[in-house]
Amino acid sequence: METVINDYISRELVQDPALLPLADGTPLLETRILDSLSLLKLVLFVEERFGIAMGETGLLPENFSSVNAICAYVRAQQPGKQAASRG
Amino acid sequence: MGEARGALLLRDLERAAYLAAAPVLARMPAVIGYRVACWRGDWACQLQAGKRAELERNLRQVLGNEVSPAVVHQVMREWFRLASCEAVDVRRLRHGAGPLRRLVEVRGRGHLEAALAAGKGAILCSAHFGSYLSAFSVLHASGFPVTTIGRWWYNYDPGISSAERRVWDLHLKPVRRHQQRPNIEPWPGRLEVAAMAAEALRANEVVTVCIDAPPLNSDQERAIEVPFLGLRARLLPGAVVLAQLTGAPLLTCFMHRAVDYRHQVLEISPPMPVIGETVATFERFAAEVSAAIQRNPAHWYFWASAADLADLGLTSRLPGCADTAAGRGWLDGIL
Repeated sequence: METVINDYISRELVQDPALLPLADGTPLLETRILDSLSLLKLVLFVEERFGIAMGETGLLPENFSSVNAICAYVRAQQPGKQAASRG
Repeated sequence: MGEARGALLLRDLERAAYLAAAPVLARMPAVIGYRVACWRGDWACQLQAGKRAELERNLRQVLGNEVSPAVVHQVMREWFRLASCEAVDVRRLRHGAGPLRRLVEVRGRGHLEAALAAGKGAILCSAHFGSYLSAFSVLHASGFPVTTIGRWWYNYDPGISSAERRVWDLHLKPVRRHQQRPNIEPWPGRLEVAAMAAEALRANEVVTVCIDAPPLNSDQERAIEVPFLGLRARLLPGAVVLAQLTGAPLLTCFMHRAVDYRHQVLEISPPMPVIGETVATFERFAAEVSAAIQRNPAHWYFWASAADLADLGLTSRLPGCADTAAGRGWLDGIL
């Protein structure tokens, strides 16, 4: 999941090549990789790719602070898949 | 200096008194209420020499010196009248907005209904033009679930006192009552604005956005330059990007006032194509706004603000005019 999201952000959203390669812990907000519209692009991608609905409650800055934070949020929204992978 | 303070105090008291009187005017027969509003507008035009001078300077800077003094005078007078009438519009939003809806003819309602039939919501591109806030409320009261992307200016202007903020908050309460969701407010650093708008569109709602807003300092690098009023303006193309990402149709919406000052026409366009490059698409919408302003120049809010026009890139910033609060009096928002 980290690789998929990191690839998408690196390919579609990073404007400044100096920020590449993107580490999973790179702050996406402080580096201004994400703004309002790029966040929407990311949300639409994550929803489609991982089959979750983020809704307004999921749109918290802390859920998008880094690739790691996004993955943690997505995993928390996929309890069925988590259980399956644990089983 | 004492005279200047006295004049300023008089202006502030007059504005406060007018806002307090607006609910009374809104309960009178429309022909009387709006006639009184026009008288007040004429009086404010005489009283507010500073704002009058700013309007004249801005009109000449943007429209060019070839505009005749008679036209400039007419636009200035009408601008003050429209500002006064807008306060009455807001107070006529009581009782399901019926008192105002009776005075507004909505043209193109079918376009919006057809746009919503596709199930992806609809984005209405508008401008700070005429009674735009009341227009959105009228649409909502007419059965369309409307949410607006926009900031309540009085919450962000550091030149506004808490008392003034409370007055504006109270005055605009009827506008807030007629909306599907609270305003989606794009304050600096707020990232979730576009996603919240997308959420409303997913629920097949109508999202309104004024595309002529001056970009905030934090948004200047995202602004693009487009032809506007015969010049070039820096505007944010977010509405077009939102449409491209969500598939929501984009329409335009403007409300203009008839010559009797009490009747208004709210015109909704058919959906406009969102194809090709973002900048080229956005230019078409900016051209629609520009044309609406050129048809009814007095309807545009920003003539009275040199700072906003400078932020739009239409004029050069005057020395000592560092922000929108510069030179403001109390309640000097839309009055």
